[in-house]
This record gives sequence, structure tokens and C-alpha cells, in this order.
Amino acid sequence: MSEPPRSKLRIANNLLFACIVVINLYIIAAPLWPQVSYWWQAHHSSRRSDLTQLIHQQLAKTSAKPQPNSLVIPAMMLNQPTLEGPESNWFNLLKQGIWRWPASSTPDQGGNTVFLAHRFSYTGPHGAFYYLNKLKPGDEIGVVWSGKTYTYKVASSTEVLPTDTSIENNTANAEITLFTCTPLWHPVNRLVVVAKLETNP
Amino acid sequence: MSEKAKFWILLGLLLASIALLAYLNYSSERLFIG
Repeated sequence: MSEPPRSKLRIANNLLFACIVVINLYIIAAPLWPQVSYWWQAHHSSRRSDLTQLIHQQLAKTSAKPQPNSLVIPAMMLNQPTLEGPESNWFNLLKQGIWRWPASSTPDQGGNTVFLAHRFSYTGPHGAFYYLNKLKPGDEIGVVWSGKTYTYKVASSTEVLPTDTSIENNTANAEITLFTCTPLWHPVNRLVVVAKLETNP
Repeated sequence: MSEKAKFWILLGLLLASIALLAYLNYSSERLFIG
């Protein structure tokens, strides 16, 4: 078998080098891209105040259209429906968005309602809970549930190990627990935000 | 270094990069707790 000419090998090497650079740049930059998007929305749009307004419109029932069960979090620029489904289907449900943990409570029943979503994955860079780390104590969260809007105030934001199932335990007081993966590149822990009920419609 | 040697090294690096990307994506999707 004859060897390929040197010039062809050189072209192939250049192509391989370019592919390596592109893949590694994507590995480094993809987790950061939504930060740029957040910065842009924070400085060049009124989305955050629009979402705050939406929560209060829903509370006052002056919103033009009723929303499906969803989470409205102005500090995260998030207004997204929540999904229901069995634990056995968790992988597909999480690929689609925010999933309510089926063993947890619901806002109308009180107790601990648990929502989880991806923070980031390379096949879908902007997970629903990408900006969960932006939530600070006191931030407002609206949960639209069965046509009613419940508002919560963030009480704490912590990191736990993936084996710490205590975050899913039911509670005496009405609250919601939101959790996702952290840190971005190598998500070995869970970022957990707990918010206490403020307004019960 | 010969062009042929460079080719095999670069091919190895490309495969390693793809494997790293696949691993990072896999680990980011293992959100399930417990």
C-alpha cells in the first residue's frame, strides 16, 4: 500500500487540529454562554419587571390569559410550565424542562413541593434552572397551580451532596424546594433553593 | 516529527476531546438525587 502524499497528510492534520480546537472551545465556552444571555436581558430588556408584573396580574386575576401550571421567577428571567410524570420517566421529563417530584406535595396541599430541572448540559446548554444560583434570600417566586398563583419568598440557597435526600422530605409549613446540579462543568453537587409561602390565594 | 506521526497524535487528541465532551454531557444529565 502506498503512503498518502505529504501535502494530503498536512491538510488532514490541519483539519484535525481545527476540529480539536472547536470541540475544546465549545467545552469551555458553552457553559458560559447563558451568562452572556442573562447579562444582555438584565441590561437591555424589561423581562424581569415584566415577570414580576405577571405574578401580580395573576394574583389579581387581571391577566389576559390563564397560565398552565408553571414557575415564574423574575430573578431567573424564568416563566416555564412544570411537568408531571412518574419517577420511571425522569430522564425524558428532565430533558423537557421543570419536573415536579411526584412523591412531593403540591402547592394547594401545603407541605414541601419539590421541583427539579437541569442546570446545563452540552446537548441543551440553557437548562431551565441554569440561573438558580442567581436567587437570593427575599427574591419572589410565583407558582401557578390549578389556575391559582401562590407566591413564595426565597429563604435559603445551599449546596448538598446528591445522596442527601432530606431536601425532599415533607414539611409542616408550605414551601417549595428547587434543585439542580452544580457546579457547571463537573456537576457533583446539588444546588438547593428553599422558598417559603407568602401568599396563599 | 513526521506528518504521519502528527496525524496519529492529532487523531488521538480528537478522540479524547470527543470522549471528554460525551463524559461531561453524561455527568451533567445525571441530576437524579438519592
